[in-house]
Amino acid sequence: MLRVENIVKQYSGHTALDDISITTKRGEIFGLLGPNGAGKTSLIRIINQITGPDVGKIFIEGRELKRSDIEHIGYLPEERGLYKKMKVKDQVMYFARLKGLSKSEAKRKMNEWFEKFEITSWYDKKVEELSKGMAQKIQFIITVIHEPKILILDEPFSGFDPINTELIKQEILSLKKKGTSIMISTHNMNSVEEICDSIALINKAKLVLDGKLSDVKNKFRSNTYAIQFKGMMFAFANALFASFSLEHSEQIDEDRAIAHVKLLKGNTLNDLLKTVIPVVEIEAVHEIVPSMNDIFIEAVTGAKKSNEYLKNDETPEEGGNKAEEGGSDE
Amino acid sequence: MTKPLKKVVTKQRKEGQMSKVGLVIAREYSTRVKKRSFFVLTLLIPILMALVGIAAIWFTIEKEKHYKVLISDPENITESKIFVSHDDSDPPATFYFTEQELGPDDYSREDLKDFDIFIGVGRNTFTNKTIKGIYREEPSKYARNYILDKLETRLEEYWAVDHGIPLQTYREIDQNFKFDLHDVEDVGLSEGELSKKDTREEKTKKQGVGFGFSILIFVFLMVYAGQVMRGVLEEKTSRVVEIVVSSVKPFELMMGKIIAIGLVGLTQFLMWVVLLTIIMAGVQALFISDLDPETLQALGDMQMNPGESGKISESESTAAILFFQEIKWGILIPLFFVYFIGGYLLYASIFAIVGAAADSETDTQQLIIPVMIPLMFVYIVSISILGSPDSSAAIIGSYVPFSSPIIMLQRVAAGTVAFWEVILSLLILIGTFVLTTYLAGKVYRTGILMYGKKASWKEIIKWLRH
Repeated sequence: MLRVENIVKQYSGHTALDDISITTKRGEIFGLLGPNGAGKTSLIRIINQITGPDVGKIFIEGRELKRSDIEHIGYLPEERGLYKKMKVKDQVMYFARLKGLSKSEAKRKMNEWFEKFEITSWYDKKVEELSKGMAQKIQFIITVIHEPKILILDEPFSGFDPINTELIKQEILSLKKKGTSIMISTHNMNSVEEICDSIALINKAKLVLDGKLSDVKNKFRSNTYAIQFKGMMFAFANALFASFSLEHSEQIDEDRAIAHVKLLKGNTLNDLLKTVIPVVEIEAVHEIVPSMNDIFIEAVTGAKKSNEYLKNDETPEEGGNKAEEGGSDE
Repeated sequence: MTKPLKKVVTKQRKEGQMSKVGLVIAREYSTRVKKRSFFVLTLLIPILMALVGIAAIWFTIEKEKHYKVLISDPENITESKIFVSHDDSDPPATFYFTEQELGPDDYSREDLKDFDIFIGVGRNTFTNKTIKGIYREEPSKYARNYILDKLETRLEEYWAVDHGIPLQTYREIDQNFKFDLHDVEDVGLSEGELSKKDTREEKTKKQGVGFGFSILIFVFLMVYAGQVMRGVLEEKTSRVVEIVVSSVKPFELMMGKIIAIGLVGLTQFLMWVVLLTIIMAGVQALFISDLDPETLQALGDMQMNPGESGKISESESTAAILFFQEIKWGILIPLFFVYFIGGYLLYASIFAIVGAAADSETDTQQLIIPVMIPLMFVYIVSISILGSPDSSAAIIGSYVPFSSPIIMLQRVAAGTVAFWEVILSLLILIGTFVLTTYLAGKVYRTGILMYGKKASWKEIIKWLRH
């Protein structure tokens, strides 16, 4: 659906995006992740044609992106804003028409959305008279009113109250079902795990990892299992030879503990169990799957593990990557 | 078959883009015109101007009170005669004579109640060189000068004769000299040709009309270019700009805004003209129909030369003639619009830069200084060249694009400027605003998405080069 190829963007003084390539699919929610100042907003602005890349191309449905494609893109910026003194209906009509809808179409779609959200009484209100949550709904309607093929949401859940968050989440999922390709830029890793199908992680202008969420998570599986048992911790530890390494342990009560054990040298869980069953009484076993939060922190800080998951071997440089030019406020 | 099809597609796209600027213009225009402040200002200003006008007329009419002057002349020096010109069909005072000597008790006498001013004339008037008088109501400067002028002439005639100078000789001496001063370039011109040329005074008066336009343009530039700045800043601080520029090119947004606000300015101006015309017509129908034409003429003189009233015969109704015949409105008014639009586009693009670079209203005050100081300077220059529309300051000012919208109209009004000079000045102005608009587009594109910090002029220049 959307293919970003080798995008490079430099501002005087620093590189905001360094050879970024990503692909999103139709009917898929794509998570664009990265810490503040990584270059997410720069990339989003390039896709929205607000700024242009120095190098690289963007393709939509297999052909190169052109100016008129902005009508196929819906954009919810991180910095939300509406014309404060303008009536809600005028405002929605204005943005809908800027996205290429005819007057009658815009009106029809506006009515549909307002009825759906049960907010038809707001038509003649000015935005400054609305509460923050109300304005957020209007903002969302403006983003999707022209039925974009591609929806780009920058931190869609920040600033929304829980009720609106749920509402927006449901709308996003229903748009996904209709075949919209959705890109979400966020730091909120819980929401990533909940709704994203694929992710790309950008750190310091570079693509650090990307792929299907399940693949990424698999890649981060470290063959580590949590074993809860009854028995002596030191007996358990002694039983593990060079084939296993005890990563972590904690005592639950006097004679029960949980141990995190990593399998080494092609050993299986069965091998591990065979080794420890003689010394302790096992109560529960499960694999430790990294959360997106862990993956994010690991990928960004490069801590704890070797950089096996890195596409390139370079360790990201320190500093010198503030988002000062281009006004990114990520 | 494919070729024409492709053409249609590109054409549609172009129209699509055009209509986006159109949408921006429509939004910017309608939100401003629908504002209460626009409505109030549009209505209030003509009413205020009309009120000021009515007040001026009222006060002028008030001054036109007719005074009855009683001259107490026991020695019959004036022989109960004062020469009054036939041209003065509506003099501010009439003279009456009595040979009675009047004292403090007499002013309250029943038979003298109708007189407003009492003047005593005697031989001591000559020795003291003082004419003494008493008034019930202080006469206007105009009436006072009139009375003194007539009385002085009569007394001097008496004095001359008293000293053995024949009346005829005295009157010849008393006549003023004409100062027939000419430009060295005009030597050799015939009398008729000379009379067609404007004197400095005439030029200055005409230039004054141009100065009115200067002020109008100056005020409009400040108000509407300032609105562009605030509009840009408002979109930036409310963060709405990011959604807008995801649908419209930043340059289209900026141009849409500039054009719309310019149209608001023109709308307001035209509404003022229409409203003022209606109000003035109404005022004329209500009040002025009672007044005779001479009063109106005098009114014109009063407004033109408020300082030197009195000698009415001198200025005649030059103001009226100037206003209705000598000023080439057919040229001035179209030029006013052309220079207003040119100057507005120039300053609006610069103000848009300031709006895009600032992060809050307070930032603009600092950033605007380098723009405001030259503009203020231009304003001062435009005042200082009053009376010398040919000075080098005026000539330079009428070419420099930042001042030409304010200064050129004065020179045009004064009639000291050639056609090609106006064209050249306009071409420079157009070239400059095209350039500043292009540069503003560049700064605007970068500036509007820079949240949370104010850019310095140094940074703005950096963006220009990027």
